[in-house]
Amino acid sequence: MTAVRQTLLLAQWQFRRQSTFLPLLVVVQVFIAVATVVGYGLLVGDPPPEVALYLATGAPTITLITVGLVMTPQLLAQSKTEGSLDWMRTLPVPRGLFLASDLLVWTVLALPGMVLGVLVGAARFDIELSIAPWLVPATLLVSMTAAAVGYALASVLPPPLASLVTQMLVFVVLLFSPVSYPAERMPTWLQQVHEWAPIEPMAQLVRAGLAQDAFTISGRSLLVLVVWCLVATGAAAMALRRRA
Amino acid sequence: MGQDEVLTVRGLRKRYRGRRGVQANDGIDLDVRAGQVVGLLGHNGAGKTTLVNQVVGLVLPDEGTIVLDGIDAVARPGQARARASIQAQANVPITGLTPRLAIELVGRLRGGERSAVRTRAGELIEALDLGPWADTRAEKVSGGIARLTAFAMTVVQPGRLVVLDEPTNDVDPVRRRLLWQQIRRLADEGAGVLLVTHNVREAERVVDRLAVLDHGVVLAAGTPAGLTASRQGTLTVELDLLPGATVTWPDGVVARGSSRLRESGSVPAEDAAEVVRWAQRQVHQGAIERYSLVPASLEDVYVELVEDERRDAPAEEVAA
Repeated sequence: MTAVRQTLLLAQWQFRRQSTFLPLLVVVQVFIAVATVVGYGLLVGDPPPEVALYLATGAPTITLITVGLVMTPQLLAQSKTEGSLDWMRTLPVPRGLFLASDLLVWTVLALPGMVLGVLVGAARFDIELSIAPWLVPATLLVSMTAAAVGYALASVLPPPLASLVTQMLVFVVLLFSPVSYPAERMPTWLQQVHEWAPIEPMAQLVRAGLAQDAFTISGRSLLVLVVWCLVATGAAAMALRRRA
Repeated sequence: MGQDEVLTVRGLRKRYRGRRGVQANDGIDLDVRAGQVVGLLGHNGAGKTTLVNQVVGLVLPDEGTIVLDGIDAVARPGQARARASIQAQANVPITGLTPRLAIELVGRLRGGERSAVRTRAGELIEALDLGPWADTRAEKVSGGIARLTAFAMTVVQPGRLVVLDEPTNDVDPVRRRLLWQQIRRLADEGAGVLLVTHNVREAERVVDRLAVLDHGVVLAAGTPAGLTASRQGTLTVELDLLPGATVTWPDGVVARGSSRLRESGSVPAEDAAEVVRWAQRQVHQGAIERYSLVPASLEDVYVELVEDERRDAPAEEVAA
């Protein structure tokens, strides 16, 4: 119970500290989600229904990944630079809760963009969604894995390098990952890389959750994702616990 | 070791690795008891912050033990943290929050109950005269107010041990007095307070014990009276010169320091009357603007201790 209370208090702290930029952050999230759908639509012209469904169900994944992979490490890098991380670490709060509260803040922030992205996609391409009952926990798993990977990156790398790497990762996610288009379009070697990376399973999971009539996720992909989630969360928690 | 021991540090050593490895702590022994304010003096780089960071488990010691309120702080940093509250040397950024909100949130994070924390935060704001800024966004408050806010955040729900790292920095003289009162009160209410400071003159009146740290070792420790005992019977005479004037000290005064328009020296107490007469003549002759005679201060002792250490240090560094 204390853990939940402390997580919520920490989240409140982070939330309020960002309060000046909160509306802007939400707007940017919404923009990214909508832009992915509409922008890709422009790129591919008038897509056939399968391609359209791919695009519309890929957009929310992109939102979740950018929030986790970019926003979370940027916040961590910022708190490292301004010195608040070291102070927070002197508080009698279990280390894992810092991760949990940041995750909570960013997931909540990502939500409006994600929902709007789905709605805009469905309207723009005139597609029918079939939402699976487990969509919410699936979304949380994706969001948590992305944030944990981002957190681990920002913990290990010096702040300026961390923000460079995460910005590069956004391009990889946007253009070189089978999120908005099928994996078959990529060169074989890249397909093989994505068999072990977490991005494709994330996309598959969200896709299957949004349109369960059209897509499924294999047990293997789910396993890859869960392993990534565990390893990244463990690494992030270890980095938070580390003593110089 | 008594029941009321809050912090016991023995043989603490820490070396930071890297190309220019630094032996930050080189065998520190330190005790803080409940109800005591212990001052930790030392110049920049003496090893104070490293010591504090080991106590709260941000830095892992190479050697030595830290017992915090009965807990082995090296083996159980999490439990140790629950018993200590720290005001870091750097201000905690609280942009987006107001001082009151920041104080209350930290109090609740530290396990305080909502209404109790609110009451205590209100008391602290009152006691430190923060009222006019308490509900202003942190972006708009001055460095001194931010510093006092950080202090209040630390003591709103104090641990058994309270560590304050330079709490008076940037704080105006009036509020500094209020701050010292609060620090004294913390100890009187049962906490052990470890006070890291450069402000020897002001700390002298508040602390029960002092430890002087230099090059990662405790050079001297004791009560303020005990530390100045060697200088008892000696007074310090300070002169403010008029521009262009020079003075030659009378017999019996040992020159201590000299800067632009400022001279200081030490004089045995029995010769003090003679020196006062001399100084008064200098004032009449227009050589000095004013003078003062004060008991040998802790600051003098501190500077002497560290200078002695400096004199011995070079040989040691070559050997290392």
